Amino acid sequence: MTTLEQTASGFVTVARTSDIEPGSVRVVEVDGRSLCIGLTEDGDWGAIDNFCTHDGGTLGEGELDDTGVECPRHGGRFDLFSGRVLALPPVRPVKAYETIVDGHDVRVRL
Amino acid sequence: MTLTQTASALDADAIGRISDRLDEPGWLRALRARWWERAERTPPPTGQEEEWRRTSLDALPRDVGLLLDAPQLETHLSPDAAEAGVVLTDLRTAVRDHSELVERFLGQADGPGSHAHFWALAHAAWTGGLFCYVPRGVTVDGTLVARYTLPRADIAFHPVSLVVAEESSSVTLLEEVTSPDGAPGWFGGIADVRAGQTARVRYASLQQLGDAAWRVGAERVVVGQDAVVTTLNAEVGSKITKLGLDVLMTGKGGTSKVLGLLAAGDDQQIDINTVQDLAADHTTSDLLYLSALYDRAHASFYGITNVRHGTKQTSSYQECRNLLLSPQAGAEPIPVLEIEANDILRCGHGATAGAIDPTTLFYAQSRGLDAESAERMIVRGFFEQVVAKIEDETIRERILGALARRIGTTEGLA
Amino acid sequence: MALPNPALSQIPDSYKYGWHDAEQPRTTFAKGISAEVVAEISRIKDEPKWMTDLRLKAYRHFEARPMPKWGADLSGIDFGDIYYYVTGNSEGGAAQSWDDVPDYIRRTYDKLGIPEAEKKYLAGVGGQYDSEVIYHNIREDLEKQGVIFMGTDQALKEHPDLFREHFGTVIPANDNKLAALNTAVWSGGSFIYVPKGVHVELPLQAYFRINTQNMGQFERTLIIADEGSSVHYVEGCTAPTYSTASLHSAVVEIIVKKGARVRYTTIQNWSSNVYNLVTKRAVAHEDAVMEWVDGNLGSKVTMKYPSIYLLGERAHGEVLSIAFAGDGQHQDAGGKIIHAAPNTTSLITSKSISRGTGRTSYRGLIKVYSGCERSKSTVRCDALILDDDARSDTYPYMEIDEENVTIGHEATVSKVGSEQLFYLMSRGLSEAEASAMIVNGFIEPIVKELPMEYAVEMNRLIQLQMEGAVG
Repeated sequence: MTTLEQTASGFVTVARTSDIEPGSVRVVEVDGRSLCIGLTEDGDWGAIDNFCTHDGGTLGEGELDDTGVECPRHGGRFDLFSGRVLALPPVRPVKAYETIVDGHDVRVRL
Repeated sequence: MTLTQTASALDADAIGRISDRLDEPGWLRALRARWWERAERTPPPTGQEEEWRRTSLDALPRDVGLLLDAPQLETHLSPDAAEAGVVLTDLRTAVRDHSELVERFLGQADGPGSHAHFWALAHAAWTGGLFCYVPRGVTVDGTLVARYTLPRADIAFHPVSLVVAEESSSVTLLEEVTSPDGAPGWFGGIADVRAGQTARVRYASLQQLGDAAWRVGAERVVVGQDAVVTTLNAEVGSKITKLGLDVLMTGKGGTSKVLGLLAAGDDQQIDINTVQDLAADHTTSDLLYLSALYDRAHASFYGITNVRHGTKQTSSYQECRNLLLSPQAGAEPIPVLEIEANDILRCGHGATAGAIDPTTLFYAQSRGLDAESAERMIVRGFFEQVVAKIEDETIRERILGALARRIGTTEGLA
Repeated sequence: MALPNPALSQIPDSYKYGWHDAEQPRTTFAKGISAEVVAEISRIKDEPKWMTDLRLKAYRHFEARPMPKWGADLSGIDFGDIYYYVTGNSEGGAAQSWDDVPDYIRRTYDKLGIPEAEKKYLAGVGGQYDSEVIYHNIREDLEKQGVIFMGTDQALKEHPDLFREHFGTVIPANDNKLAALNTAVWSGGSFIYVPKGVHVELPLQAYFRINTQNMGQFERTLIIADEGSSVHYVEGCTAPTYSTASLHSAVVEIIVKKGARVRYTTIQNWSSNVYNLVTKRAVAHEDAVMEWVDGNLGSKVTMKYPSIYLLGERAHGEVLSIAFAGDGQHQDAGGKIIHAAPNTTSLITSKSISRGTGRTSYRGLIKVYSGCERSKSTVRCDALILDDDARSDTYPYMEIDEENVTIGHEATVSKVGSEQLFYLMSRGLSEAEASAMIVNGFIEPIVKELPMEYAVEMNRLIQLQMEGAVG
């Protein structure tokens, strides 16, 4: 997809590829939403909602372990790509967003 | 009516100016100043406290003006009662006409610990209120009713209701407050109720504030030796209510019935914390709080029953039951027991939350009622557990009338 | 219920298991915890890198997190004053038969009466002496069924994939401060895997005890019951009396898969200087059943809230809890049940007794997420206060966000009825015997769920306690 086609189908730019170290996550605010984006050691980008479904912890301030985002509040884990729960105490998944890289831009489909 | 500066901009001078405006005696000026100093020294809750974890004060409308010239309290007292020495007036009038009496009782005690800041604030910044005094041995016939109809929504108003029933007296009092819908306002009314030895007191409070109002209230009820006190809080209005209630069983043989009725809908949040403090022998305290929750309403209840060390033969029960009537309604009933004595006659609590039992609903519908009518009838039956304990006809009617806007009426039903 | 054997009243007042071996165990670190200690524990155990990394990360979380501000008084714990790892005189790995167990450890187990138990009908015993699983015996038919029952350290080596798939998914490293500590320094504990459709008929058991002064016990247990299987695990422990504080901070994770059933029974009778702070949690999937039977009799302070997450439809969870607090003890226990699927049911039954200056607190949570329709939960807490200086609290939390449910909680607090007492004493019982009988009757609904020898021991312990009260 060209950049234009991406935007037409709902992708927005949320960060530059240089903004994040491999194996980490961070918070980005876009379009009134708070997201947690991450880059795995293997070079894959993912994005999920920023707030843990257990107690509202900020996932983007947590750690990335392989493909699991660990919430800093109680250690619950979500899959960076699907939002699925990998470890308690959360029981409900978080929303995940399709993520692509376009040049130096990290883009997410909201 | 005039507004003074905003509630958030109050200071010692502003408090002094309230006294000026109301032309108050020196003792009251000094009392206000003392309580203002207390309010400054006692910060508002941070939200870390157990009683405040479920309701945030972040959006409390602190920038509305303090209502300085509040309307007079609407009351009526029979000539006979007045002649017997009973007083029932707006607190401002009472300060003027019964100064010594008010001075004896006003602001002499601390309220619920959870609401310490607001108790102090109200005692400093009240601009209206109620004084009800029943002399020793006097029985007041009928129901005393006192009503505040606030003129606008976007104000702060912290009236103090002072109710004193001397030894062997008997009184039934219903307090009501209403305010318009629309803009956010802050109603911080408090109540200080004392029942002397063998007194009989029935005190009911019906809150029908506007749909954007915040109610942060505190009540303190002291039950003297062998006294019998029934309190009822009916919460119908407001957007957010956070009420703290302390029932202090300090007199041997005292009895209290602590009742609550909540009917909430839309996005209302009602959060109540209570303490039943059994601090003397042979005291009895039974609490029953019922809530019916519609739409996206939420009710939290945190009640502590504390049976003090060394007391004998106390009897206490705490019950909180919640009917959830829509998928997005929620409830958090948390009845806590802290028991430090072993010579207990009876002690327990119960809490429930859930929908109407489907069998009950089915049965009601099988008698020809449509779903909505069936639900109304069942909710009314649910509330009957408390309504039946209200012995006063006037109070029962007023409360049910106010609740009707949420739970409907059962007139015309089978 | 039969009258207690009068001969039992000859048991001396002093704590029956209040002794420890004079001989010192072989390897002991200096006291206190640091990243170096954590790394060294992992190195000695020869663990894969992922476990070492996880331990170190958990240690970081432990240092960063504050102690809980609620619950019992934990100010007496000095983390710098504890040994975090001790091994017995063994070359590593579990002994396969009783004869292989080192001498002074066998003496310890002799005193605990294990050989008799071994002869009886137990399937296997994982014994723990100062953090290391020394003795272990799996019966042949269990092995044939594919049941895995071994020490957790051994399981990490022999079943790495199964281990890694589940470890830390129920209780992550950063769940709370004590779970973080355990994840950093865990040693010992049991690992159980029951394959699909296998029913383990007899209870699997473990014994362990703290022996070295200021020894912390950080065992880590992981139980996985595959679809349609069932197993009952029983742990009971004793500890000697010391003058300085001991810390026991275990973590138990249980996964009950679709249609499976697990019961985990604990009778804890730590001596009165031990801080017993345990995180126990289970997940129950579709049609699964999880039961915690939790008996808290000893320790100076216990904080323990066995939890069940009902993740699959029609899952059922139960917590049966007994707490007994004597002089100076505080049992802060209860249960947490999280309803996260429709048609789930739960039951918490708690019985607590406080005497002397003891204090029992029931602390529980029933949480129902929205969408969990037709779920039901009942909590029943009864407390008995025996003396005027004793204390009993109940803190039952409820968060109900689904309308179509039935959730109820009832609690009572009472004293021993004087009529009951009078009646029994008029039958010839002493006040102590009569009180013991009443108390045993009070807890009977839960005691009858215990394996027989535990039920007998429980009743005897109550008897001892009551005699201490009135003697």
